[in-house]
Amino acid sequence: MAAALNVPLTTSTTTVTTIPQMTKGEEKVDYLNLPCPIPYEEIHREALMSLKPELFEGMRFDFTKGLNQKFSLSHSVFMGPMEIPSQSSETIKIPAAHYEFGANFIDPKLMLFGRIMTDGRLNARVKCDLTENLSLKANSQLTNEPHMSHGMVSFDYKGKDYRTQFQLGNGALFGANYIQSVTPHLSFGGEVFWAGQHRKSGIGYAARYNTDKMVATGQVASTGLVALSYVQKVSEKVSLASDFMYNYMSKDVTASFGYDYILRQCRLRGKIDSNGCAAAFLEERLNMGLNFILSAELDHRKKDYKFGFGLTVGE
Amino acid sequence: MASQPRRGGVSLPERRAAKSDSNGSIISKLSGSPIVSRGRQAASDAVLVTRKLLKSTGKAAWIAGTTFLILVVPLIIEMDREQQMNELELQQASLLGTPPQPQK
Repeated sequence: MAAALNVPLTTSTTTVTTIPQMTKGEEKVDYLNLPCPIPYEEIHREALMSLKPELFEGMRFDFTKGLNQKFSLSHSVFMGPMEIPSQSSETIKIPAAHYEFGANFIDPKLMLFGRIMTDGRLNARVKCDLTENLSLKANSQLTNEPHMSHGMVSFDYKGKDYRTQFQLGNGALFGANYIQSVTPHLSFGGEVFWAGQHRKSGIGYAARYNTDKMVATGQVASTGLVALSYVQKVSEKVSLASDFMYNYMSKDVTASFGYDYILRQCRLRGKIDSNGCAAAFLEERLNMGLNFILSAELDHRKKDYKFGFGLTVGE
Repeated sequence: MASQPRRGGVSLPERRAAKSDSNGSIISKLSGSPIVSRGRQAASDAVLVTRKLLKSTGKAAWIAGTTFLILVVPLIIEMDREQQMNELELQQASLLGTPPQPQK
């Protein structure tokens, strides 16, 4: 007999989160209570996350082991061709392999991060909250080759609805930036920098408009860079991003479009460029703590095709 | 014959002047006539153009095909898996989540 099983589908409603609708009465903006803007260097964060995944060529293996709640060690192996920057248009690749050992210490107030490679390069990062509003960040990269090491220290101050940052780097590099929220959705910022070694200085401005569904940013700098980006969150799992970069000094134009699918078992990012480059990056969760990574990049103009695979173990 | 200057990178082969053959059979006279020679010329031009068109279509198809393979195929595979998992979960939930209904 045809029995109509009216099974209430309870699972479908629990996975959908409803965004509370703002009534017309709540639209009055309280200009004294604006949210704190995101840091100046992360202004393109959403676009960068979607459009610039860490593409690689070769094999990569990362193992992270937590010894403590705060301390963890990491081992990482990379084997594959490395590109040598060459003057001619041909890209020269030589096969290389290296092992990298690292240690992380993560505390709410202090974060230490260090990596050392078999070719003698040391990478270190420190992030320390000196007070509730002031924090110190430092990072340095030391190499065996002379004059190739560099380090940078920055002090960040977080105000009620603004942030400022002051940076000092080696080679007499000074930089400062400031970003302020103007409305709950819009924030403006500016930066200046001075490089003593190269005798260059520059000034730049940036603006960011974000709502729940989209983020639009624009940045102009006196080094000739104009960068605009737009990210739209189409649904909970999918977001589409587009980016436009123009250098008015060297007359270089690049536009790129990409998508970012965050599904339960995997994260897939794909992008296509106006330089004739198509790239895709897939991170698939095989098991708890085990991630499988695939990366592909096709450059049709230079006929350079790069494919990589890897495995990431650890939380 | 005067050689023509090459313009651009592509130029069709030089046209031979039509030779009119007065002494000889009807066939040779016919094959030497201007209509036939022009027809022959047009046929070889058509072959050349078709070859170039095929080559550029082939190149475009290769670029489109490999880009589709990299950008779209993983997406289809992952979305399919997600859908299968959703169906499985739905089935599991309907099996475990609700008390067994008496079948009429």
